[in-house]
Amino acid sequence: MSRDRVGALLLLVFFVVYGYLSTKITLLPFQLNSAFHARTAPQFLTAAGIVLALFLLFKPSDLRPMDTSGMTFKRVSMLCGLMIFYGLTVRSLGFLASTMIFLAGGFWVMGERRWIVLIGASVPIVVGFWLLMTQALDVFVAPFPAFLG
Amino acid sequence: MLEGILTGLGVATQPINIMMVMVGCFAGTFIGMLPGLGPISAIALMIPITYGFDPSTGLILMAGVYYGAIFGGSTSSILINAPGVAGTVATSFDGYPLAKAGHAGKALAIAAYSSFSGGTIAAIFLLVAAPALARVSLSFQSTDYFALMVLGLTAVAAFAGKGNLVKALLMTILGLMLSTVGTDQAQGVPRFTLGMLDLIDGISFLLLAMATFALSEALMAVLRPKSAADQAKELEAQKNLGSMKLSKEELKEMAPVVGRSSVLGFFIGVLPGAGATIASFLAYGVEQRLAGPIKGKQFGKGSIRGLAAPETANNAACSGSFVPLLTLGIPGSGTTAIMLGALLSYGIQPGPRLFVDNPEVFWSVIISMYIGNIVLLVLNLPLIPYIARVLALPSAVLVPYIIFFSLIGVYFVSFNTFDIHLMVIFAVAALVLRLLDFPMAPMLLGFILGGMMEENLRRALIISDQSWSFLWERPLTASILAIAILILFVPILTPYIARMKDKVYDKAGEGG
Repeated sequence: MSRDRVGALLLLVFFVVYGYLSTKITLLPFQLNSAFHARTAPQFLTAAGIVLALFLLFKPSDLRPMDTSGMTFKRVSMLCGLMIFYGLTVRSLGFLASTMIFLAGGFWVMGERRWIVLIGASVPIVVGFWLLMTQALDVFVAPFPAFLG
Repeated sequence: MLEGILTGLGVATQPINIMMVMVGCFAGTFIGMLPGLGPISAIALMIPITYGFDPSTGLILMAGVYYGAIFGGSTSSILINAPGVAGTVATSFDGYPLAKAGHAGKALAIAAYSSFSGGTIAAIFLLVAAPALARVSLSFQSTDYFALMVLGLTAVAAFAGKGNLVKALLMTILGLMLSTVGTDQAQGVPRFTLGMLDLIDGISFLLLAMATFALSEALMAVLRPKSAADQAKELEAQKNLGSMKLSKEELKEMAPVVGRSSVLGFFIGVLPGAGATIASFLAYGVEQRLAGPIKGKQFGKGSIRGLAAPETANNAACSGSFVPLLTLGIPGSGTTAIMLGALLSYGIQPGPRLFVDNPEVFWSVIISMYIGNIVLLVLNLPLIPYIARVLALPSAVLVPYIIFFSLIGVYFVSFNTFDIHLMVIFAVAALVLRLLDFPMAPMLLGFILGGMMEENLRRALIISDQSWSFLWERPLTASILAIAILILFVPILTPYIARMKDKVYDKAGEGG
């Protein structure tokens, strides 16, 4: 399937789900009678989106499939995994430790294997950034895990 | 008026105030460069510092911070495709490709010159026409705002689609849909929150911008590693990374763009609520249309016009947004709303009587805008070669840094880890859509304008007693909508007209 059609199909699914959820928006009886209520814009957008997505799906287009050769999906997945890990640990491990692990892990995923770079490009930057935020800009960021206070 | 200007000049050129402009511009540039800390945060950080100051001095410092933060935001847009504020999204369209092609210094210099020119021209307008413009801006009603936003959306969809208008429109609708997530402003009911408390306030602009621009760009760079030949070419290009040289031809090309975008930016900025974002997108769209078919194709690939136009317009709009604040007491943007708070805390009531009651405050702030623009240029130009070197970092180090600053920029605003996970989802979705050649800009503009559009449309319907006739009965609204329709249909009709012309020529050729 061509790129346009894959995109149109994905968006069509999203629009249909969005349209279904728009019917679940709670309205009070008197709101239903007004010309414009909380469901109006979503339902108009759903209709417009579905029409356009169907148009793109059925309009004649370039049928060449997407070329994915040479793409490094594994590396991208690992970086996404690291981001999720960061979201899960930034509170529990504290800003300093979780950010150092995230940055060093990121360098490693990107192919960097020298310890000096892995540590040297993460530890001073994280500490410096934390000092900047807390000391210069007065933004409180908990540096250590919650159990250490 | 002349007396007022001279008073303002006297106050603004006092050593303490000149120092405040310098400190403000420098601090603003630095804070604006950090993703997540835009002009609003930068000015909010300054409020406690300025409490003990004279009102003029405090406001001058805040105005300096405002300009600096806008310029700093442009820097991160150009260098790492991370627009921290909505006003610099359009800057990244051509600024980032220019930087990627090894002209980071040049791109930053164009941004600095354009910002300077836009800000200066707008400050002159402000000086001359502020009171009169305030009256005009008051005549704009909800219906006109709604039409103006439709115009902004269609302009971007038509120009960002690069020949595929349907895809651009689909992305605009996607952005509009995302803007409806959260509590409905008028009726207070939750929409599309899936029962999650984290979504009750909706999705933040910063989160979406960082995820779909900075994060997805970083992931795209990882997904498509460069070939050895490309790497060698890039290494060669990086030799001129810090160079700010602009040829005479390039300056000649920029000059009319800067002139037009300054005027457009200023007038859009005067309208409360419109601000730098619409101004920058409209200026970009207008210049792409005016560039003609050959130069127009360079837009999105590192066009000088495409960078100069939004940069000029957003700075001009910043000056313009001071018109409703100082003359009517109406803040036109989030940033000027904070400044309104600061003015009130000094015991100054902005409004039509500000000229009369506190002329030294009114005029000194306007005069300090000139000085601020000069300071911004003088401070930033020497730093550009050093700032541009950021791109010389190896990608193994640069990519994790970009990801880190994007994540932390969003996290530091809400301190909610849910936002980090939501960013990952949006970044992956944006990556897939980019691979399928769907443009991101219309989606982001749809998202930015969606809430305002819905609110203005709803208000217009209430005013017109639930009748949709305001769309064609009010001349200003109808004219703006007509322009929007024209913009939308020109790209659709152009190929047909060209084909018909070819047929006519062919027939004439056969006949002759």
